[in-house]
Amino acid sequence: MDDTTRDELLRLFESKLKRAAKLYLETCSRCGVCVSACHVYASMPQAKYIAAYRAEIVRRIYKRYFTKKGRFWKSLGESKELSELALSELYEAAYSCTGCRRCMVFCPFGIDTQLIMSIAKLLLIGAHAEPEILSLLADTSVAKGESLEIFREGFLESIKTLENEVVERWRVEAGQTPIPVDQKGADLLYVALAGAHSIVPAAVVFNAAKENWTLSFFEAVNFGAFVGDPVKTRQILDRIVNEARRLGVKEVVICECGTAFRVMKSMAKNEPFKVSSITEVHARYIREGRIKLRKNTLEGTVTYHDPCQLARNGGVMDEPRFILRALTDDFAEMSPDPVMNWCCGGGGGLVAMGEDTLDFRMKSASVKADQVKKTGAKILATACENCHTQLSNLNDHYQMGVDVRFLSSMVADALE
Amino acid sequence: MDKISYIILVPMVYAAFAVLVLGVSARLVAILRTPRELQTPIYPASGAPYLRALYDSFLMPQVRRHAPVLWVFLMAFHACLLLLLIGHLELVAQMPWEKAFPHQIFLGKGFVGLILAVSLLFFLFRRFSSPVRDLSVPEDYYLLILLFLTVIFGAEMDWARNWYGYGEMGVDQYRQYLTSLVTFHPALPYEVTSAGHRFMLVLHVFFANLFLMVLPFSKIMHAFLALPVNKLRRG
Ligand code: SF4
Ligand code: SF4
Repeated sequence: MDDTTRDELLRLFESKLKRAAKLYLETCSRCGVCVSACHVYASMPQAKYIAAYRAEIVRRIYKRYFTKKGRFWKSLGESKELSELALSELYEAAYSCTGCRRCMVFCPFGIDTQLIMSIAKLLLIGAHAEPEILSLLADTSVAKGESLEIFREGFLESIKTLENEVVERWRVEAGQTPIPVDQKGADLLYVALAGAHSIVPAAVVFNAAKENWTLSFFEAVNFGAFVGDPVKTRQILDRIVNEARRLGVKEVVICECGTAFRVMKSMAKNEPFKVSSITEVHARYIREGRIKLRKNTLEGTVTYHDPCQLARNGGVMDEPRFILRALTDDFAEMSPDPVMNWCCGGGGGLVAMGEDTLDFRMKSASVKADQVKKTGAKILATACENCHTQLSNLNDHYQMGVDVRFLSSMVADALE
Repeated sequence: MDKISYIILVPMVYAAFAVLVLGVSARLVAILRTPRELQTPIYPASGAPYLRALYDSFLMPQVRRHAPVLWVFLMAFHACLLLLLIGHLELVAQMPWEKAFPHQIFLGKGFVGLILAVSLLFFLFRRFSSPVRDLSVPEDYYLLILLFLTVIFGAEMDWARNWYGYGEMGVDQYRQYLTSLVTFHPALPYEVTSAGHRFMLVLHVFFANLFLMVLPFSKIMHAFLALPVNKLRRG
């Protein structure tokens, strides 16, 4: 690696050295309590998959360039040069971590390995060594925000084709549009994903609850966050924030996408609208009696997988259980404490990287498959697109024999 | 030898404390002056993040849950460290609480040092076995060895008095020596320079000095950072 590149990368590194990052980089005592935290290590016990080991790969570069100790006495903390080899180690560390932050619950200091891995991801972007597909997807999202007009017609047309499906499942009252788009004065802006499964059931429930809602032009998913690019994360987020401001909505509701919800919830704190997940909204409708569900129509035991970004990192834990109790009496928890739930193994962009990561995703999540099997459930509900894909893959790979379902569509199907 | 003893017992102690105080302050200021970034807590977030952070830092519930044996040693180690800190403070001067609770200086009748030494050995051996070994860097071993050396020579003086009735060098002499240091009139009492045990003291002080000097640049900074870093997790 030439000096100019290295200097550039170090500048990127420095841009990440804010208070929390510094505290995390300085504090680890390498006590090893986090060893048993990571699903990757639990499934494939190799040292490189220990949370602190991953973090140490970034920490060594930090010691070498940003601490006196590392500069003067290199072997002491095994500080490390930033080189091509270091980059490939960074890649392996960052893209075998799903950012689930289970290790943060175990650590006596609460060190956030995901945040440390975001430094690694940024360095990889700087060196053009990030997974291309993620950057590409992020760029497409950004472009869509910049030239909405080009996408507008196509989008509206495709929504029209979905409207029949919505009408079939829930009667629409006179003058009501089954899927309203771009409605000024709506109370609620729903941000979905591309694909009918994310739009139709949600529309059905909104209409059943007589919600004054409108659908966003944009997809919720934030590829900028997956690839660890702070600028693109912001740009992708801002498309939705601006739309919400323009329409003057009171609430922005994020579909079943854990990362999108966490990013929106934490980054749009000071906006004039409230941020909720669709799961919270459904629980609210049931509680307020705005929708009624038929109970016990599901066959077999139901279990629920807590998406890490929604539960541990987003605070939505009671609502899905409340919904499931309204749907069935036969519910089994897979972990005694939702905060401790194993990650499905698909986060951090791994599912978005598709086939390339399939083998790793299956091997690294055997503990998840075991956990699901132990519940004896026939239906595995979840509330995140990523988790749904990964769990479906696991279902095939480990022959778990479950039906993987979106919680929102279970609600839509059970409407009275 | 006398000259070396003097250097270790007087100027090096001053140097060690100067490095400690300046080093720790500089590091803390550097970290706490860095602008904050957005950080998501672990949910359910606590209503009283500082209290939770205090609880996390002092009682380490995570370690108790996930590594109970390590937790027993960690708690014993840190509690004894606290007792030793009090013991050393009492050597410097008469503390106000001494009258309220009359007790022998250096609580624990020698067992505090023993527990520390055993815990340190436990930490060290733990580091030699996988998977903690795979995480460890040389600094981790050096620090443990340095602490062990400091503790073993310090504890030895305590054991000599407690267990073998050794009386030549005692609290009064230590107090005389330390008081002279804090009042900046360094003087070494006759016993400190000539008692049979003086090399124990010199070695103890030597290793302790080294430890204090590396502390600000080592992971022992967690003593100061545990609280702010734990606070981040709690919201
Ligand atoms: S539990 Fe925390 S302090 Fe201990 S090794 Fe892991 S990250 Fe470091
Ligand atoms: S964030 Fe999750 S995947 Fe990453 S190291 Fe921690 S436990 Fe493992």
